[in-house]
Amino acid sequence: MTSVLVVAAFAAAYVLIATERIHRVAAALSGAAAMVLLGVVDARVAFFSEKTGVDWNVIFLLLGMMVIVSVLKQTGVFDYLAIWSAKRTRGRPFATMVMLVVITAAASALLDNVTTVLLIAPVTLLVCDRLGLPPVPFLIAEALASNIGGTATLIGDPPNIIIASRAGLTFNDFVVNLAPIVIILMVVFIGLCRVLFRSAFTYDPERVAALMALDEREVIRDRGLLLRSGIVLVAVMVGFVAHSALHIQPSMVALLGAGALVALSKLDPPEFLEEVEWPTLVFFMGLFVMVGALVEVGVIGRLGTLLTEAVGDQYLLASSALLWGSAILSGIVDNIPYVATVTPLVQTLVGAGGGAGQANALWWALALGADLGGNSTAVGASANVVVIGIAARAGHPISFWRFTRYGSVVAVVTIAVSWLYLYLRYYSFG
Amino acid sequence: MTARKLAQPFPLVTPDSDAMEAARTMATQHLPGLIVCGEDGRPYTILPGSQVLRFLIPSYVQDDPGLAGALDEAASDELCRKLVHSTVRDLLPRPQDLDELPVVDVDATSLEVAAVMARMHSPVVAVVDDHDGGIRVIGAITVSRLLDHMLPTAPAS
Repeated sequence: MTSVLVVAAFAAAYVLIATERIHRVAAALSGAAAMVLLGVVDARVAFFSEKTGVDWNVIFLLLGMMVIVSVLKQTGVFDYLAIWSAKRTRGRPFATMVMLVVITAAASALLDNVTTVLLIAPVTLLVCDRLGLPPVPFLIAEALASNIGGTATLIGDPPNIIIASRAGLTFNDFVVNLAPIVIILMVVFIGLCRVLFRSAFTYDPERVAALMALDEREVIRDRGLLLRSGIVLVAVMVGFVAHSALHIQPSMVALLGAGALVALSKLDPPEFLEEVEWPTLVFFMGLFVMVGALVEVGVIGRLGTLLTEAVGDQYLLASSALLWGSAILSGIVDNIPYVATVTPLVQTLVGAGGGAGQANALWWALALGADLGGNSTAVGASANVVVIGIAARAGHPISFWRFTRYGSVVAVVTIAVSWLYLYLRYYSFG
Repeated sequence: MTARKLAQPFPLVTPDSDAMEAARTMATQHLPGLIVCGEDGRPYTILPGSQVLRFLIPSYVQDDPGLAGALDEAASDELCRKLVHSTVRDLLPRPQDLDELPVVDVDATSLEVAAVMARMHSPVVAVVDDHDGGIRVIGAITVSRLLDHMLPTAPAS
């Protein structure tokens, strides 16, 4: 009976999160509170259990990266890079778009996607304004590129952080397995941009002077801070790459990096905490308690057994279903609660396969599906919603369907290419 | 001293007034804002100088003020040309975001005027005279005028 009530409470909270009838943080906390009231969750289960409690590695990795981004933002380095690269293209529209999407994808691999588009969108509007180009195709392309680029690393997208923590995967596991396909996807994506946004590439040589007159050096607000931040960021990346050898969790690497930057930047708390999204962190905590309750009452275990029996050794079929299913669902609902819920099930399937390469590839199918699926609709990823908001404020509204028209094409093509990659790497030659 | 005595002649504009002219009036007369009157001559809002700047400065520079450093004087001139062929209506916020007009009666004391300014965060208040059932703006009081009146005279050094 308790299991039924827990599933009902979970489903109700999930519907509230998906439909956004109330704020997602309130929905997740209500779901968590319901689990406590049902007697399934207590302080030990919620706070101290690695299996059923709040995943503090995820929370503190996110917190650390948010602090690092807060400090980096103060330097103006993103504005500098965007203006510098646009000037290198001498105002040729397609080349400018390529530069901007590559910067966005690379930054998204190292930082949070939403932060990346928040940093790159204003300077994109400036560049388009100078060149007399319509900014909407550029902004849409950047949102899509941020979701693709974020797929490449453990820290690039929150679903990857959840997967890594729950699956015990390292930073290098993500780089080795996902970065190659993300590079391929970016090449494909740039080709798609050439076709999808072709009407935006009108070159006006007379406007180039306005772009070349921009002085990118002036946007660097604090050169000393930029240097110190750069050194710490490199150290953090080295820490991520070497974290398994150093026996230090990615969350600790991020927190140490954040602490070093706070100490070196001498910024005040409101400044170095500016990009910390407390609601997102609390949302994660609520979700972990909700999912932990499902694990605690054995629902996840039973579902995992059923799935394991159904899948057998058909891992290609399971990977394909996971990839496409995750992509479709992530286009409709937030991919964070989806991944948080599905991760224990995938863990069971991978465990049943003895952690072999073909079974392990299920993690990459989940990450690719959940991360890239967000591109399929205007509300599929937070970065999309943020870009639409910035565009509207700048007087360039992007309708849901306009975004979705481009995003769905990019999502279908990138997921099809990802499926081919999974098939060739893990099931054909693996 | 009452508001009637503190009030100074103040330029009034309508929503259809030329935006460039309105901005120039503010600049040349060193005014913090202008009183906007409706078609019926009744004052209904203030056009503060900051709102003119919000119209001129692109949203992306407002979002990321560091970008302003990359723009040169020519770009600044280009931005100001947005006022050409614009009206005061274009400069005003959306109707639901319009500031309530800070208004005082001609008999208001200087402290009452200060209270209205402080409550509404406004550097200027319109002084109106209820005349034969109609409301007439007789002038306005700026914060500098009010402070000049209220502050004690500085001791001779």
